[in-house]
Amino acid sequence: MKIDLLRMVENGGCSSKIPPQMLEEILLSMPLPNDPNILVDIDTHDDAGVYKVNEDLALVFTTDFFPPVCSDPYEFGQIAAANSISDIYAMGGKPVIALNIMMFPAAKLPMEAYSDILRGGADKAAEAGLRIIGGHTIDDFPPKYGLAVIGYVHPERIITNSGAREGDVLILTKPLGMGIILAGQRLKIASDSDIAEAKRLMKLLNRTGAEVMNQYRVKGATDVTGFGLAGHALKMAKASNVSIEIDMNKVPLIGDTFMLADEGCIPGACFRNLVFVENNSLLRMNLNYNLKMIAMDAQTSGGLLMSVKPEIANIVVGKLHEAGLDRSSIIGKVTSRQEKYLYLYF
Amino acid sequence: MYIVDTCGLKCPAPLIATKRALKDENAGDIFQVVADSSTSFGNISRFLKDNNVNFTWEESEGKWILTISKSGSVMVTSEATEYCSKEIPHMNKGEFIIAFTSDKMGDGDADLGHILIGNFIRAIKDLDVLPSKMVFYNKGVALGRSDSDIAGDLRVLEQMGVDLLFCATCVNHYSLQDKINTGRMSNMFEIAQTMASASNVIKP
Repeated sequence: MKIDLLRMVENGGCSSKIPPQMLEEILLSMPLPNDPNILVDIDTHDDAGVYKVNEDLALVFTTDFFPPVCSDPYEFGQIAAANSISDIYAMGGKPVIALNIMMFPAAKLPMEAYSDILRGGADKAAEAGLRIIGGHTIDDFPPKYGLAVIGYVHPERIITNSGAREGDVLILTKPLGMGIILAGQRLKIASDSDIAEAKRLMKLLNRTGAEVMNQYRVKGATDVTGFGLAGHALKMAKASNVSIEIDMNKVPLIGDTFMLADEGCIPGACFRNLVFVENNSLLRMNLNYNLKMIAMDAQTSGGLLMSVKPEIANIVVGKLHEAGLDRSSIIGKVTSRQEKYLYLYF
Repeated sequence: MYIVDTCGLKCPAPLIATKRALKDENAGDIFQVVADSSTSFGNISRFLKDNNVNFTWEESEGKWILTISKSGSVMVTSEATEYCSKEIPHMNKGEFIIAFTSDKMGDGDADLGHILIGNFIRAIKDLDVLPSKMVFYNKGVALGRSDSDIAGDLRVLEQMGVDLLFCATCVNHYSLQDKINTGRMSNMFEIAQTMASASNVIKP
């Protein structure tokens, strides 16, 4: 019998995150360790923590895991690993070592699925030049998988959420719509070609995007995942103390994402993210409702959102296209701090 | 009354069913949606509020019943097919660009020249096809002054997706660094590249 992981879950991938507002409130009450070697912590809502070892080396440390986003165990392993590694790339790092994190219902799924998930993760790690040196599994339903990853970065070359500067231009390297397409897949209203494209993008490492950022000394970036484009842009604006304007007309979308949203295929995660974003200031300027909700769509292994100097923006986009990220687009800009942190319009 | 029963359906299926009924003439002016989860109810009611659709609701025994009225609602039901193409063109943008080399239009009286260029910029947004970019150099950069009567019109064009490029050397030369807050600063290489790759360059 063919294994179908999707039959086990209601929400997959980064749609399964805790509501961002709730998370933010809890994290605010947690004491932060005080150590001068901690270069980046949750204070700036970054993708990973960074710890300085010496003047030339810092460790980027992150973890991420989630329930299945597709039926095939091997593909799920690939996607979960690409998503986990993405945080290292978003911080300007090079992934080095990792541990597997697995929750697997041994009584409900054949062990073949277990090995297929791990094999998918191992193959994706190998592609990234990452060595998986251990891991931990507990029996749990539904299955969940991901990695804890350590990467290297030069302490002066860290890319963070707080590195966006007034006058910068924002570039997004992968089209949006993964959450909406995955919901459409479960309801069997998404087309096969869109599902295939979403899976291809989720498996695609953000490595090439990170290489371009490194080449052009980009200082500010994040990867777009569970909090959606709007949520992550808001976090970036707050951390950098700037405002961000995004032109939804310029945001690339996967296939028929707009049509699915227009049919009402708007996952619950969009509404959760909407509450987070609007409470933290959003101004609607005649924004089309579907595009607004697409900006809230939770992405799994989404693209990099980078803040670059306007002089080099077109060159960076050209390089990204050359590197195979052919939907990379300029989608907005960074301004001085305005009344609101985030402005969405088209 | 027409009833849409979404019990047992998982998110976002209840919302899809609600939206279909809103578009379906057979559902009549007033119809009901029944949901059995607070999440589905929350998302549907949020969707209706955001789209100015009138409704009332009641909860009993773990079920939410929404009574939705189409009349009096001013929901904009954009047809999905309008947006089906991959690029989602919300407006027509051409291959041409407009180069502003002065803060006046034509030779002659300076005041008249300034009024004319303002009218010209105001007219651009009503063109059938918008320019892909507008470049401003030499005295043309003064058009971007935030205290000028044209600033609002430039801002609208920018929101419509027109890329506004200001020659940074010129902005510095006229000491307008703090006065311009639309568009973006550019250099002569990008301006030259923009003009060279445009199908047409219009100089008012």
